[in-house]
Amino acid sequence: MTTMESAARYFWIARTAARSNLAYAGEVIYRCSFLAIILYIFMRLWTVVYAGAEEDRVGGLTLPQMLWYLVITEAIYLSAPRVASEVDEDVRTGRLAVHLIRPLSYAGGHLSRAMGDRVVRFAINLAVGAVIALVLVGPIPLRWSGIVMFLAVLPAAFLLDFLGMFLIGLCAFWLESTSGLAIIYTRTVMMFGGMFLPLSIYPAALQPILRVLPFASMLSAPGTMFVNPSLTLLKESIVIQGVAVAIFAGMVGIVQSIALRRLFANGG
Amino acid sequence: MNRGVEIRELRKNFALTRWTGFSRSVFKVVAVNGISMDVPEGQAVAFIGPNGAGKSTTIKMLTGILHPTSGNVSVLGFTPWRDRRKLAHSIGAVFGQRSQLWYHLPPGDTFELLSRIYSLERSEFIRTRDVLIERFNLGSFMATPVRKLSLGQRMRAEVAASLLHRPRVLFLDEPTIGLDVIARQELRSLICEWNRNDGTTIFLTSHDAGDIEHVAQRVVVINHGQVVVDDNVVAVRRKYLGAKILRVQFHELPRTMLLAGVTMLRESAFEWTLKVDTAVTPVRVVTAAVLDAGSVADIAVEDPPLEEVIARIYSESRKEVPT
Repeated sequence: MTTMESAARYFWIARTAARSNLAYAGEVIYRCSFLAIILYIFMRLWTVVYAGAEEDRVGGLTLPQMLWYLVITEAIYLSAPRVASEVDEDVRTGRLAVHLIRPLSYAGGHLSRAMGDRVVRFAINLAVGAVIALVLVGPIPLRWSGIVMFLAVLPAAFLLDFLGMFLIGLCAFWLESTSGLAIIYTRTVMMFGGMFLPLSIYPAALQPILRVLPFASMLSAPGTMFVNPSLTLLKESIVIQGVAVAIFAGMVGIVQSIALRRLFANGG
Repeated sequence: MNRGVEIRELRKNFALTRWTGFSRSVFKVVAVNGISMDVPEGQAVAFIGPNGAGKSTTIKMLTGILHPTSGNVSVLGFTPWRDRRKLAHSIGAVFGQRSQLWYHLPPGDTFELLSRIYSLERSEFIRTRDVLIERFNLGSFMATPVRKLSLGQRMRAEVAASLLHRPRVLFLDEPTIGLDVIARQELRSLICEWNRNDGTTIFLTSHDAGDIEHVAQRVVVINHGQVVVDDNVVAVRRKYLGAKILRVQFHELPRTMLLAGVTMLRESAFEWTLKVDTAVTPVRVVTAAVLDAGSVADIAVEDPPLEEVIARIYSESRKEVPT
């Protein structure tokens, strides 16, 4: 088995997941409508905030930049596949057997599937969000270097979020239900990742702590990189993402190996 | 003899934790208790037992999904839990109620994906896929999303998908569950045909006696994690009931017949269905008595239904093995 063949397997899982995602038009329309409503509400809120502020910048961003930042963070957040609940379901229903009968890594299979799902969802969210932002506030100046920096931190943002959700899903081996943990996790990402508010708006004492937490690498880093790119931020983000991915991946490896050894198989 | 599956003293214990207030107690549950058996390549074996007997646990150890507490297993020369990914290329599985097909996509897309997962040669994949489409009659719905298929169509596609990489051993866990009579018969004959033509070893678990009777040559019954019966299907039926069914048609109204060990199951004017306890009265004695009772147009001696045999084995093993 060559590395290419092995990579091709996981690529095809991602490709099939992407196709499957597009097959269900109803869900795509629902997601787009939800994103449009959220962006409109935030646009109105931020307009009031900027009108009340004495400067034309809040947290270092202009109003159009703020809305484009929200487009990026919302597009990332709303593109998250249901990894934790799928792993939870695999464990609870015994569907795990269907995955383990294949010549694949369990985590690798889920990662490919999640990435296939996520890329399609993110692309649709971004397209819809961009149209809304163009209509509401118009374009912002973009540089190619900024787009490249944004694309450089995006894959690790997706990977980190996957690892976090996968770890929560694996807790189903010990817990009755992981839905509570999943809610805490998603709300933490939302609050500390900078989904609604850029980290530059948080109290100065909190900002350095939030920046080194993995949550900021999932939302704030790509969002900021898109509207206000900087090489310093890129370097900082890549280091934090690298360390966080290594820690999360190590935890997934250990927890999965313990979990699969204590696997029960009741009821067929 | 080429041994496809070798199992030696296989055991699996689970620890069950119970909380009473703040005190925690751990119980040991013995799911599989020293199973040993061999399955030669190409054989179709029914692996049956009542709920909680340890069937699924055993199958999951044979496929590498579960680690045993002790014992050895060799499937096609691999130790399943150590060589899970290598073994996966040579085995296939259908877990009745758990689909491997992508719900929103047509079966063809899952087939394509499986060909990549198993790294099949393109020409070999197309040849096998076309054979499966033809034999399993999948052509009419290969482009229909799985969510729009009937259960019968979906199960045919499930089994075909599990055969795409031409596995040498196929594990079927309740493959006909929920299917109607026709769909069940179709699926059974397809599995039999594949076993005969391709020499695929079949490891079947089912609660349906029809599946066992039509698909398997050998039946292994387990209860409380132990093998209680291991024989060929015909022998099991004979050995475990010691009874025969006699169907008789008369030209004229027969005289009443009373014999020890003979029970009338159904009686109409010109037709009798009798159950004979051969330990009490041999079949030849009953046959002679029947011929004496009236002018016989037709007579048939049959084995009792397998379902009855299985029920008896379950109830006997329940008495023998303390819980």
